[in-house]
Amino acid sequence: MVRHDRLLLKYILPVLALLVALVYFPLVKGLITAFRHYNLFDLRDTSFIGFDNFKAAIGDKTFSFAQIFLNTMIWIFASLLFQFVLGFALALLLRKPFKGRGLYSGLVFYTWALSGFAIGLLWSWIFNGQFGLANDILMRLGIIDSPIGFLSDPRYAMVSVVVVNVWYGIPFFGIMLLAALQSVPNELYEAATIDGAGRVTRFFKVTVPFVAPVIVSTTLLRMMWIMNFPEIIFGMTNGGPANATNILATQMLYKIYKEYDYGQASAISFMIMAILFAYSLLYLSATSRKERDF
Amino acid sequence: MSPKGRFLRSAGKFLALAAFLIFAIGPLLWIILTSLKDLKEVYTFPIQYFPKKPSFASYTKLFSFARFGVYFRNSLILTLTASFGALVFAVLSGFGLSRIGKRSLKQRLLLLLYFTQMVPPFIIMTPLYTTFSSMGASDSMIIVAIIYVSIVLAFSVIMAKSFFDRIPIEIDEAARVDGCSVFQSLVWVIIPVMRSGLAAIFCFAFVNIWNELFVAVLFLNSPNHLTIPVALNSFISKAGISWDILSAGIVVALLPTMLVFAFGQRYIVAGLTEGSVKG
Repeated sequence: MVRHDRLLLKYILPVLALLVALVYFPLVKGLITAFRHYNLFDLRDTSFIGFDNFKAAIGDKTFSFAQIFLNTMIWIFASLLFQFVLGFALALLLRKPFKGRGLYSGLVFYTWALSGFAIGLLWSWIFNGQFGLANDILMRLGIIDSPIGFLSDPRYAMVSVVVVNVWYGIPFFGIMLLAALQSVPNELYEAATIDGAGRVTRFFKVTVPFVAPVIVSTTLLRMMWIMNFPEIIFGMTNGGPANATNILATQMLYKIYKEYDYGQASAISFMIMAILFAYSLLYLSATSRKERDF
Repeated sequence: MSPKGRFLRSAGKFLALAAFLIFAIGPLLWIILTSLKDLKEVYTFPIQYFPKKPSFASYTKLFSFARFGVYFRNSLILTLTASFGALVFAVLSGFGLSRIGKRSLKQRLLLLLYFTQMVPPFIIMTPLYTTFSSMGASDSMIIVAIIYVSIVLAFSVIMAKSFFDRIPIEIDEAARVDGCSVFQSLVWVIIPVMRSGLAAIFCFAFVNIWNELFVAVLFLNSPNHLTIPVALNSFISKAGISWDILSAGIVVALLPTMLVFAFGQRYIVAGLTEGSVKG
């Protein structure tokens, strides 16, 4: 087959050209912009200013960076935890065939295909402080006496946006883990049962080890993806109230759309990328060590 | 297990499945109900759950003075063009990557593709904007379509490659013995047996591109070029949202990708587990 390689490379070249021009080139340009003064209002001066953009973004007077960072971590790990646990539970429920399973999984997995921004808007209506369905249900159940400002009260805003992200993200884990579960050979369960293992033991000694590689890769990918996913927050609170749901990605959007400060925006995305990079190295080395212990 | 225990377990399972179902479709049903109410019914508390008489007045307003017809057409043309473009590129280079013989070359090319998946879309957004606007080509739907192709491209190629990998190379060779060129064997012999793979790639591209907001907000300014997400965004940035119209707008924004999911679920599941990169 080697004699075709030259021809096959021609099939790949257009894609490489597109990726170099529209991903790699702007990536390098973006990384450089992080170290430049670059404001759309004042493009005469685009000189290099070292780490000033980073300092300005971190020392921002109106938005506490420490809080943004903490918000980002809560947003990522709370969303990830509940998406994973509920998605896994759903996959376990769907493992054995039952009548109407195809239709059912379509009805619980469809949120995967929705626009994050439109979902944010949809749920901001449900969480509306005056006419929202959430308040109505909670009041009818007698859990609260008067309507809560889910999105206007800093105490509830983060919980509210995380609920929506969980709603949106369950299908990803559901689909991936369901596929992994269906590839666990039945003989393994039979052998474990003969050895006297109960349901719980079978789950932790057969199921979990078998799907562990899928768990590692999906949680890693999902974490990166949630970090870069401001759409829901953008549609619900846009980072407010009082910075309560502001994450790195929404803060970066603010720098682009409201302050036109591309230098600081690039500095923030530089930080996002650095965090993701460090995190994935840590995560991979930690999980591969754990797998060796098995 | 005792009959009673078995009954309790299947009852528990049924309740859990019911809870997931209500959680998943409840919000969607709610926004659809809202969009069918008139303005007074939308703004009542305690809530009036069902409209007395379902009305499509919100949709009429949406498509007449809010000009949603134009935005819907823009979104549809943009999404179909870019998804189809990505599909063509993905098939060609996915085939190339799958069949290329030299291992080291193949791995280096794959690494180049996988790395783009780690790049946050935001970091490339503003440089693209400044580059294209300095060329005087910012408010252009063609440019946005090309950017959209490049955004979904790497994942589409990875997916296409893994679909081609499952087709035995003997099929290519047999076609070539029968006198086909490499390109002819791809078009006439291989593509016909991976139609479901093509559907998966197309569904993925469609969903991602239809839902894209931030690049479109940055690039598309003139009222005739807006896409549905951008139009929704401009709704909420204007003071005072009217939830009767907005709810109809949300339903229109969600519907196309839901249809794609309904028809393509089988392929999407295959694509997700095959490529396992995008969430």
